[in-house]
Amino acid sequence: MTPRRGPRPTADRVRRLLVLLPWLMERREVAVAEVAAKFGLSEAEVVRDLELASMCGLPPFVDEMIDLYIDEGMIHVGVPRLFTRPLRISAPEGFALLAAARAARQITGADEQGDSALDRALAKLSVVLGGEGVVVDTPAPPLAAALRDAIIACARLRMTYWSAHSDRTSEREVTPRLVFVDRGRWYLIADDGASGEQRTFRIDRIESLTPTGATDEPREVQAPSATGWFEAADVPLVVLRVAAEGAWVAERYPVTSATAEGDGWRIELPVVSERWLRELLLRLGPGAVVEAPTEWVDLGRGAASELLARYDASRA
Amino acid sequence: MGRAVVDALERVTNLVALLLSARQPLSLERIGDELAGQYPTGEGAMRGAFERDKALLREIGVPIESEVLTGSDAGRTGYWIDRVKYELSDLELEPDERAALQMAVAAARLADAEFGLLKLGGEGESTPVVVANIPELAALPELREAASGRAEVVLRYHDRERTVQPYTLLLREGFWYLIGLDLGHHQVRTFRVDRIEGAVKVGTPGAFARPIDFDPRAVFPTDPKLLGDEVEARAEVLVDVPRADAVVRELGDEAVLRRVGDAVVVSVPCANRDAFRSWLFGLGTHAEVLAPQTLRADVVAWLEAMVAR
Repeated sequence: MTPRRGPRPTADRVRRLLVLLPWLMERREVAVAEVAAKFGLSEAEVVRDLELASMCGLPPFVDEMIDLYIDEGMIHVGVPRLFTRPLRISAPEGFALLAAARAARQITGADEQGDSALDRALAKLSVVLGGEGVVVDTPAPPLAAALRDAIIACARLRMTYWSAHSDRTSEREVTPRLVFVDRGRWYLIADDGASGEQRTFRIDRIESLTPTGATDEPREVQAPSATGWFEAADVPLVVLRVAAEGAWVAERYPVTSATAEGDGWRIELPVVSERWLRELLLRLGPGAVVEAPTEWVDLGRGAASELLARYDASRA
Repeated sequence: MGRAVVDALERVTNLVALLLSARQPLSLERIGDELAGQYPTGEGAMRGAFERDKALLREIGVPIESEVLTGSDAGRTGYWIDRVKYELSDLELEPDERAALQMAVAAARLADAEFGLLKLGGEGESTPVVVANIPELAALPELREAASGRAEVVLRYHDRERTVQPYTLLLREGFWYLIGLDLGHHQVRTFRVDRIEGAVKVGTPGAFARPIDFDPRAVFPTDPKLLGDEVEARAEVLVDVPRADAVVRELGDEAVLRRVGDAVVVSVPCANRDAFRSWLFGLGTHAEVLAPQTLRADVVAWLEAMVAR
């Protein structure tokens, strides 16, 4: 688990301890470092909380309720009296486990196998949680399976990709590193052969993939967080005013701000390419205005007249 | 005890141990006696500290029971923890099942799921090949419990109070939806969970039965272009070279009406005009509506309004 920063409130410490104690009892001897890594704590926090726990006790087991000691970085646990079983799964944990398992069925391709281990785990989990009540619908695009295999094998692929930025299809060599799903869209993070840099591609814009036969060194990639995965990138911010019907922009895209203004909204969002903004403006229609930057103020009108010319030309 | 201050972790752990091993419900006074030196003295201060500990424990999922005592403690409240409810029953996960769950949790990156996995005896971190951003909202855990336990919920949505028999939660396109029978309208409705206003009230479990043939995917069509009154409505759209292949991949070969050189004419659902326009304009100048004429005129009017403003 990821370590947290700042002082830990008592609730968090108790919650972890009640899971940690039975976890330790099942294993009897575990390194402090291992516990720290798994439970998202520093080694000092593990030692402190376990030393406190070993002091806990009530008559008639004043000193032996929790029998453990720490020596040379190893935790040794004796015959348990109490806390032999983990605390039941709480409502938030139950929800998160089911959501994770349901999502994983689709995104990891587990649903493509018949009787998968994940399905059996889900069935057992749902008995303990009194049913499921969670459905995840993020169907995998056809290329997802090939990309997952390539990531595991560190295989270099030849990829034909349509770029929204240049409105052209080009061919390149990539080494896929991670597939990630955000707001129902599927993305690929890969090392781009030509530049050697890490790049993010939209999987629905990949036209074709073929193996090159080459493989690369394994490399771990950090997936972007749910919010603001554009924030790190150095891209221009656009200020839009949209009518009430255009409020979906703030929900669909990672905007930096959205404030109600009159009947509509004032939205600030990072824009990666001019072409993308043109398409967004066409979708928003006459109810949207670009306020900044100035070079894009007329972008929507330009896009509309260009497309209109196409309709005029084909009018039979 | 010799130590001036007892760490809250130690006091709370002792309280759990005491309530778990108690043979009968314990009054506040008894708890104070058993944990001598750990709670402040004076009844008001002691009660305040105990109430905080009780709230803390309930927050992390420790089920603390209470009842009004009889006998020598008549009238006082007694507290205990039911071990059967406290302890996680053994799921008897096979190693491959636990590993699969581990992969799932690594892919979903939800802190609560990671923690739940530790309770299930999870081992080590796994490096995921696929990850997903799954939105977390405060109301989701109780809505899920209400759906699986068949408890009615009362919620505020679009400024009105609704009583709903929750059938399921659905995650689609990055949004969580609650699907259930709206008792005010006697209709199955879909509610965006992030638009539910304020707290949700959950009734008693087992209050209703979910229709056997209920299928969340059918209630709520996958393709937003199908959401509309004329579900059958379809448009003929010409798509040019740079996007033609991708569109055929998206819609399937059965959507292809004919090929015009390298370009392609496809049949696309258009019951929902907004969703259809969104799809169409996503193709920029590479797509053109050919039929029906009303839809083509609609698109032209939309563009003319943009040019005129």
